Amino acid sequence: MSLVARHIEANGIPTVIMGCAKDIVEHCGVPRFLFSDFPLGNSAGRPFDVESQAQTLELALRVLESAPAARTTVQSPQRWSADASWKRDFNDLSKLTPEEILERRKEFDVVKSVARAKREGT
Amino acid sequence: MTTTALGTNAVFTEEYDVAIPYMQRTRDYYVALGYDNPYRWASFAQVPFTPLSTPLNRARVGLITTAAPYQPGVGDQGPGAPYNAAAKFYQVYSVTTDSVPDLRISHVGYDRRHTSAADINTYLPLTRLREAVTAGRIGSLARRLHGSPTNRSHRTTEHDAAELLHRCREDEVDAVVLVPS
Repeated sequence: MSLVARHIEANGIPTVIMGCAKDIVEHCGVPRFLFSDFPLGNSAGRPFDVESQAQTLELALRVLESAPAARTTVQSPQRWSADASWKRDFNDLSKLTPEEILERRKEFDVVKSVARAKREGT
Repeated sequence: MTTTALGTNAVFTEEYDVAIPYMQRTRDYYVALGYDNPYRWASFAQVPFTPLSTPLNRARVGLITTAAPYQPGVGDQGPGAPYNAAAKFYQVYSVTTDSVPDLRISHVGYDRRHTSAADINTYLPLTRLREAVTAGRIGSLARRLHGSPTNRSHRTTEHDAAELLHRCREDEVDAVVLVPS
């Protein structure tokens, strides 16, 4: 998605990305980025919380209007929860046994082959 | 136990309470699973910038998503569904913004442990954008929104980016909001 934003921007249309993966978006380098420090899947705000979603969009629109230069990141002040321990869980290896690692590898190989079959059938 | 900065009420956060280092975690994870060819994320020294030249209350705004149109018959795509590669899409698509389309995110690696994708408004701000039009905050919404495939190949992504630019120009938008899921 960062590559798409760059291409559109380079061709004269201003863009803003709303996202949750700060390191990946900033590593690529994009014009404007509203970062929500939420679990992946919640780039546009908290579930079933219209106020959270409206505030998130409003902040993205303000970034669109007022970013002074490329690579402008603004972080939403919203917190997912008072307790930040959810951040430790993403792809956390420390809790996996060798058997679970083998099982995950098997699952991933299946996912890859399904994606390949789908891609080649498209 | 919480501690506060000297002379203020500002509470120090836990050491792990930072933006998740997704690239490092993902690399470590796949190395641990036995894959020795870690994915490399694109990176550029130069970043384009185009100032917004039309005030937002007169601007037409476009929306691009990575969510996938619901496809009957290819498995569970509902809230909290396991990762579903069969629900992926490989062509740019466009759908009307007159109504909320049935778009899902079971084909991407969102955080299934801490969220469930039960509310489309967390990854597709279409309803909130329409409210912003009604409120006069933005001039109008493009008549259609566009779907960007989540391919991990730079070559196909370049092709898709060119197609998305083409469609944004057809829509005559003044700015674009992009929401990866």
